[in-house]
Amino acid sequence: MSQSQHVMHTTKIRKDPTQITMNVITYVLVTIFCICCILPFWMIIASSFSTEEAIRRSGFTLWPTDVSTYSYYLLFRSPDQMIGAYIVTISLAAIGTAIGLFIISMTGYALQRRDFPFRNGIMFYIYFTSLFSAGLVPFYLLMVQTLNLRDNYLAILLPLLMSPWLIVLMKNFVKAIPHEITESGKIDGAGDFKIFYALILPSLKPALATIGLFLALSYWNEWYYSSLFLTTKVEYRPLQFHLYNVINKVASLKNSVAGSNVVITDLPGETLKMATAVVATGPIILLYPFVQKYFVAGLTVGAVKG
Amino acid sequence: MRKMAALLIALMVLVMALPMTGIAEGAIDTSEHVKIVYLVTGDKPTNRTDEVLAKINELLTEKINAELEFRWIEWTDWQTQYNLALATQSGDIDLIGTATDWLDAWPNSQKGAFLPLSEDMLKTYAPKTWESVSEAHWELCKYNGEIYLMPEDNYAQWTNHGFMYRGDWAREAGLENGVHSWADLGVYFQYIKDNKDGVIPWDANGNGSSYSPQMAGGWQASHTGNIAIEGFPVSIFYGNSKDDPYTLSRYYLEGDELINFAKEMKKWADAGFWRADVLNYTGDVAAEMEEGQTGAHQHHTQTWTGERTTMERKQPGSDLGFFWFGEEANNLIALNITHGAMAVAAQSKHPERALMVYDLMRNDPEIYHLMQYGFEGEMYTVDENGLFSRPEGFEDGTDGVSFNFWWGRNDGLEYRNAELDWDAIQKLYETYDSVKIDYPYGQYIYDNSMVGVFMDNLSNVYNTYMPRIVFGMNDDPEAIVAEFRQALQDAGIETVMAEVQSQMDAVYKK
Amino acid sequence: MWFFACSSEQNHVQGVDSLAKSKKASSVVTYRRPSLGKVLWQNKTLILMCLPAIVFFFVFSYMPMPGAYIAFTNFQYNKGIFDSPFVGLRNFQFLFQSGQLTLLLRNTVLYNLAFIILGNVLQLFFAIMLNEVQAKTYKKVSQSVMFLPYFISDVLVALLVYNLLNYDYGFISHLVRSLGGEMPKVYQNANAWPFIIVLVNLWKSTGYGTVVYFAAITGMDSSMMEAAQIDGANAWQRIRYITLPTLKPTVIILFLFAIGGILKGNFGLFYNLVGNNSMLFKTTDIIETYVYRSMMNSFNFSQSSAVGLFQSVVGFFIVLGANAFVKHLDPDYALF
Repeated sequence: MSQSQHVMHTTKIRKDPTQITMNVITYVLVTIFCICCILPFWMIIASSFSTEEAIRRSGFTLWPTDVSTYSYYLLFRSPDQMIGAYIVTISLAAIGTAIGLFIISMTGYALQRRDFPFRNGIMFYIYFTSLFSAGLVPFYLLMVQTLNLRDNYLAILLPLLMSPWLIVLMKNFVKAIPHEITESGKIDGAGDFKIFYALILPSLKPALATIGLFLALSYWNEWYYSSLFLTTKVEYRPLQFHLYNVINKVASLKNSVAGSNVVITDLPGETLKMATAVVATGPIILLYPFVQKYFVAGLTVGAVKG
Repeated sequence: MRKMAALLIALMVLVMALPMTGIAEGAIDTSEHVKIVYLVTGDKPTNRTDEVLAKINELLTEKINAELEFRWIEWTDWQTQYNLALATQSGDIDLIGTATDWLDAWPNSQKGAFLPLSEDMLKTYAPKTWESVSEAHWELCKYNGEIYLMPEDNYAQWTNHGFMYRGDWAREAGLENGVHSWADLGVYFQYIKDNKDGVIPWDANGNGSSYSPQMAGGWQASHTGNIAIEGFPVSIFYGNSKDDPYTLSRYYLEGDELINFAKEMKKWADAGFWRADVLNYTGDVAAEMEEGQTGAHQHHTQTWTGERTTMERKQPGSDLGFFWFGEEANNLIALNITHGAMAVAAQSKHPERALMVYDLMRNDPEIYHLMQYGFEGEMYTVDENGLFSRPEGFEDGTDGVSFNFWWGRNDGLEYRNAELDWDAIQKLYETYDSVKIDYPYGQYIYDNSMVGVFMDNLSNVYNTYMPRIVFGMNDDPEAIVAEFRQALQDAGIETVMAEVQSQMDAVYKK
Repeated sequence: MWFFACSSEQNHVQGVDSLAKSKKASSVVTYRRPSLGKVLWQNKTLILMCLPAIVFFFVFSYMPMPGAYIAFTNFQYNKGIFDSPFVGLRNFQFLFQSGQLTLLLRNTVLYNLAFIILGNVLQLFFAIMLNEVQAKTYKKVSQSVMFLPYFISDVLVALLVYNLLNYDYGFISHLVRSLGGEMPKVYQNANAWPFIIVLVNLWKSTGYGTVVYFAAITGMDSSMMEAAQIDGANAWQRIRYITLPTLKPTVIILFLFAIGGILKGNFGLFYNLVGNNSMLFKTTDIIETYVYRSMMNSFNFSQSSAVGLFQSVVGFFIVLGANAFVKHLDPDYALF
């Protein structure tokens, strides 16, 4: 990099003043942003342990007023439902992420190969689907009538396996790996798949961590496909859908004419919403440190490659 | 009331007489055991519904060699889910619970979701239902000369809207007889505002869209003779009066009454009868009322009947009253008989058997009681007055039964809930019966194909302006009404009115 | 694109091509084009590697696509999509006749641009800054914390915002009043909402987006960084001359990708925050919310498909344009 010519040689290698200023700015700004992120979440947790009466008027508080665990009781009233929901979601996320990650990275690598003549064509073929979709009815007919996937977990697992966005992202990460690795593999007589599997994949760790995280999140947060394809015949449904039902039932009934037939009694609206947020977020946030490991690891070993 | 009782008795006789005169055994081939899937809105119950269903299926198998299966449309996103299920059916559903006012029964009939039911079919496979519904009522279930719906026409219920208010506070406010007009309501609210510290007179959750048509239409019912016509995506289509029902009212286009409404609501908003940010508030008004945090709840009569009991328990002495919209002008329309109705799916593979199942659900006392109340003795008891009560500690969520059968309830077989305050309810119903008129537009079904585009824009205009008028969220009521009317004009209201009028003329001015 | 395919010797040319991008024109050598069959055979492994994805998108995206014909029909449930009567562009009309299209397009596009530009700036900023931080625990914890808002559903976000800003009982109202000030009625002031909505969006999406840049920085060649340090480059210079250029392709790709959805709005966010408060529509109404309000009482699958199609077609041409532009500058950065 020719930019080194611009560098002033007067400063020391370590602890130059700009580094210190920058660190100060970083700490201040990041800390402020983090407070903005954590405070509302804290208020949600506190409110989820309050009684409905207490928060109805005064809104969110920093500490629970009139401590109550009623909304958690409501959520876990049928624990087998909750446990079932967790198991379904975790299984879907684990299987889907593993399969999806493999296909995405393989495709991303192939599409980044400069010597692959069809890469632009295939990329366009994939990208096009992110712009145009058939709409709800045709997609529903495909899933339910052509593929016969109603009440089948595959209806959730399959459509979320990959997305044009994740493939583009992966392709972009692969780009950072020097082409020489592929070249050296070729010289050693390795096939394309062998090169990908043995040489490329190991240096893609941060990318795999990122895209794996995104995949896992999309499975974790999924409720839309569940609402379309899993009817009440399915005993255990994905977590977010289960929770979504709990909180939306009240809301959608209150504002609709359907309410004329239904009597809703004593459902703690607001605190229940808070509790579901806590229940839904807790486990996945524990996953994040594992993902982070790869970001840090990548930095220190990075120099070895190439 | 007497009329209803007579009807009731007639029906009882009918029900008892019918099994003897019913169609000859063996005329219908029921050798194949079939499963009839019943599409119904509601969450899958976590109570004893499955047990009861198993018992019902035993009976159904015995009688007609069929069984019933639920396909629940859960409340989450139910509008999409329901319409999607109808649009993509492939013989996977047989019976469909529907309604002309809240489940788009007519648009769905027009779109080919339901099977047209011939008289022969009904006579053969649903004979009791066929008999119990009068010819005039069947007429109201026709579209293009074909019957599509089986109406819930023998079930007394009122879903006309109004305000629930506390009788005790109304008396304190000097309203000895309670609230019976919008003016009284204003007095009542002002009293609460001035005297009940920390209580918001009406803590409306204006975030929902349903208040607009209820409030605007409520004022209209109380101050004009206009009659709302159902089945439009926008609530601005009214007939002039009961004497001239088939001419469209121009209430929303001209005249002072809408301006008066806007002015009054602006006054109420400025007086703080609801919170300043009402349009974004999502709270639970009923719960607040039960806790004494607000003084009113805007909903319909049916809700009031239950809420009155709840309030008596939570706020003893509250004497929850109901001011119904139209009370000042004695302007009240009976519930349209297709507020609940059952239809057969267009693609059903067993429409005959579906009709047979429905006929039993609606008319067979044993099945009906199981469906509505559960196992007698264990889940409920009936006293000598025909009132039913639940055992001690009964929780509907775990011990009850939920068939959500809102498409053929039958007063001939219903038990009244002993918990409700029947004296108060009876009194109100008697008032209703003395002033009500029948819904005059049962035979008119709006056809959206000509002016649909304009209608969508009108819908948007209405939903843009009406919340601001209803909650007084404007600087100048007269100006905003003028703006609203101009926007309606720009969106093509005149074209739509002309089209609707000509559609109506085609039906009623032959 | 075809000339990349010529022969394996040329791979070397392409391999070092990054050093000599400017010589692109001269590298177009006039080899004879080999037959398609041969090219396919030569690339069989790479094609096979793409096959699962190709099949996937074929089944889940292309197979139902003819069904988009529904947008041109008056969909009859008992006839099916293809036998329903054709009505031409009638389902598209209501959007164009509304008189609101200009406002809706303006709002939708401006919000999306703000989300894309400010969002990426903030994400880049946090990724780079956190990368410079030495304290490992701080780095990790702050990243996790930044992810929290992503999990809060729009319903809850709206509730939070209402609890902060509402006039009568809001947290900020209390604060302002206790300090003797006068709280403005935020929910009646349309001009405040572009800021609020953009802020909320940034708050929600920064944690998620930062991860992308973080991974890209991680994948960066750290030997360059070390060399720069030895050369005495200060932190600012390292960022300016090494980190940022490394992230450039990622930024461009993300931008190109986002631009295709420029007409598609985040319905959940807008609908929950604004609801039917029409006093705010002037600055908050986007295509999705308008369509929702127009059709909430008349269910019409054909019409919603038509709106979606309109958004897609416009987005498609914008992306084609943007991609061609990027390709013109540097083909390596283009999306396809």
